Amino acid sequence: MIKVRNLKKEFRTPTGESLTVLKDINCDIQKGEVISIIGPSGTGKSTLLRCLNRLEEPTSGVIEVDGTDILDRRTDINLIRRRMGMVFQNFNLFEHLTILDNLTMCPMLLLGKSREEAQKRGMELLDTVGLHDKAGCLPAELSGGQKQRAAIARCLAMEPEIILFDEPTSALDPTMVSEVLAVIRHLANLGMTMCIVSHEMQFVRDVSTRILFLNEGIVYEEGTPEQIFENPQKPATRAFINRIRTFESVFENRHFDLYGLFGKIHTFCNKYGLGTKILEKVQHITEEMLCGIMPFCGPVRLTIEYSEKTSGISMSFYQENATSTILDNTGEDSLSLMMVKGMSSLVTEPNPGTVCVEI
Amino acid sequence: MRKLAFILIAAVMCLCSCSGRKVQDLSGVNCVEDLRGHSVAVAMGGSYDLMLSDVGGVDIVRLGLGELLVAVEKGRAEFCIMDQYQAVMLNLESRGLEIKFKNILKGTAGAGFRKEDSLLCIQFNDYLRNIMESGEYDRWLDEWKQAPDSMAYASWSVPGHDKEPGRRALHVGITINYPYLFLKDNRLTGIEVDLFNRFCLQAGYAVDYEIYDFSALIPALNSGKIDVILSHMRRTEERAKQILFSDAYIEGGGAAVCRSAQGKAPGVRAGFMDRMKESFRNNLVEEQRWKLMTDGLWVTIRISVLSILAAVMAGVVLCRLRMSRRRIVSTPTGVVIDLLRGIPLLVILMLMFYVVFASSRITGTWVTVMSFGLYYGAYFGEVFRTGMESVDKGQWEAGFALGMGRFLVFRKIALPQALSRIIPVLKGEVIALIKMTSVVGYVAVVDLTKASDIIRARTLDAFFPLILVSMVYILLAWLTGLGLEAMERQLTSKSRRL
Repeated sequence: MIKVRNLKKEFRTPTGESLTVLKDINCDIQKGEVISIIGPSGTGKSTLLRCLNRLEEPTSGVIEVDGTDILDRRTDINLIRRRMGMVFQNFNLFEHLTILDNLTMCPMLLLGKSREEAQKRGMELLDTVGLHDKAGCLPAELSGGQKQRAAIARCLAMEPEIILFDEPTSALDPTMVSEVLAVIRHLANLGMTMCIVSHEMQFVRDVSTRILFLNEGIVYEEGTPEQIFENPQKPATRAFINRIRTFESVFENRHFDLYGLFGKIHTFCNKYGLGTKILEKVQHITEEMLCGIMPFCGPVRLTIEYSEKTSGISMSFYQENATSTILDNTGEDSLSLMMVKGMSSLVTEPNPGTVCVEI
Repeated sequence: MRKLAFILIAAVMCLCSCSGRKVQDLSGVNCVEDLRGHSVAVAMGGSYDLMLSDVGGVDIVRLGLGELLVAVEKGRAEFCIMDQYQAVMLNLESRGLEIKFKNILKGTAGAGFRKEDSLLCIQFNDYLRNIMESGEYDRWLDEWKQAPDSMAYASWSVPGHDKEPGRRALHVGITINYPYLFLKDNRLTGIEVDLFNRFCLQAGYAVDYEIYDFSALIPALNSGKIDVILSHMRRTEERAKQILFSDAYIEGGGAAVCRSAQGKAPGVRAGFMDRMKESFRNNLVEEQRWKLMTDGLWVTIRISVLSILAAVMAGVVLCRLRMSRRRIVSTPTGVVIDLLRGIPLLVILMLMFYVVFASSRITGTWVTVMSFGLYYGAYFGEVFRTGMESVDKGQWEAGFALGMGRFLVFRKIALPQALSRIIPVLKGEVIALIKMTSVVGYVAVVDLTKASDIIRARTLDAFFPLILVSMVYILLAWLTGLGLEAMERQLTSKSRRL
């Protein structure tokens, strides 16, 4: 139904520099699919969605809807937009109209429906989203969740073939998220074609037929929810799915600033809410490894990864120019190694020169 | 707080009454030089004004012709200098005033012409010489001095001031100055008017009289707005440098008027209600002067409505240009708006009248509408812009995403939302505009304020016309406010129904 090829979008910053948000996007959306777009913030998920109905003007590339190139100047974009609904993060209900009028205005103006017809359909839709009683209210009198449900109903009133959801729950109180998600889930069950940008991972996993992971301006990885969530192929996907936080530092020789390093680790652990016990463990292991075990035949790189999803911490120490395996040469009776093993659950050396410590 | 306000009011009243009751011995003042150290009210820009400046040491109070006597009556000035003939004809004793000395700056008055227009001047001089030599002039002037009222009626029977095709219409700038140029039963008459009408009848001109401020006459003549000054203007050397004077047609001098030593005549100090009744009769009923006021009111309303329309149109255009995404359009528009808002409205009005449209025969009303349209257009434009910018970008996007075109989104979504925020702000501006129309007297438009000026020049009563005019303006402002509020309600209730 929608075909995107080599889509590129650059923004011009006020200082005149250009910022490439989307580098080269290729994807297809088929009828009946529920596509979710996920990825770290700032990777252009919303921009991609807004390019699809040309609320943003792409810099280059091709977007075809049922074979019509919508970037062509001769295409009447308004006709295309009538077939593509959009739900915004900030609802954007027309503030001066009642909820029912929000639903009936466009069908009457653009689809040529009579007032009675439009109002009948409008009330049906309000029933569907559970807002039958609010038909005569102004948007300002509704809660956030109700507003978003009304906005979804407004989209449906135009009988669209696809609905684009731009972070529909990001502006909501946590207590109101579920009512909106329930409505979207209901639409998915009815077989509505949808494209959703969302940070609600559990919801995305349940409702999607396919997931696009956007990173660095491209579709970095795509697949079914199982593929993306259970078995991500690429490191950035894994880091995102497991919500892995990393800390990195490089040391040229033995005479580095140990207490400065401790301070930085402290800050990192504090930031992600790790307790004093874990902090002390990480600091001790770092000290023993760097001062007792690593040979320093070149620079050493320390990486600490913390997964918010599993709460696991893994540390890796990488010795550049390593000539041989480190653990074997240290000897079983080394006091430092014994202490490291005592504090960790697993110490391995997958490649010569790289020691991994799991806590 | 209330106590403080009370004390303040009491203090103000004390001050007023004190300044009003000040009695000084003025018996030693017998010539112009004696006026040093005294406060003297004169007509602004008149020859007495210049004379007193030369004398030096006089506290000059510059006012309009109509305010001179009132200023002396109320104690704002100890003396006023006015035309001696006029002073004799007015019933000064009943007001508790007297003529202190006469024959100030004896001189002659004449009509003023543009220097390029000497032919017209020669024609007028020829006419004057003819009637003076035949003695007709002296008889005529005597009749005027004996019975000005009957002469006023008689003067209208002189035909010739009606416009007819093929006749050159002379635009004559005048100021109201009894008994030379005044309104009787709301029709223009007076010694000079009668004289000029007779001249025009003989020479075959049509006449169009326009009422100006005295100080605006010479600029109006030189910029081509008027062809003749007929305003009891003294033929002074200073003025002769700028305009061409006809031969003298009337002799005159000034009289210094002050409060008489005896105070007001008995019986005049009547009760408040009686005085109000008397003022009402004097200023409105007599000679049907209320007609002047209602005519002025219509002019004010007409100018206001046209100006508001013009300002709204100019505002829309300026707002559109100002909000253009192209810098080359929006930046100059911003500068123009700042310029328009930086110049006082009265100055814009005068610039338009005496400079921009100097040579065109465009009337003061249209110059007023254009000036007000531009000046308030700049304000309205900024109000519109803030109104439009207050509409969230998301509202536009939602409209676009539903498939509405730019114009449809503007009309159905952005405009109704912006209007409900614009109208309350606009209300203040519109009322300010209506009140501001009171300055149009400067460009020869007789509006409500100017009408009251004319009445005051005749009745020499400041209190009643001014209070009446204020009340009419308050009423206008109130009605306008009500109208706009109704419009606002209509808009919001409509939005709920779509």
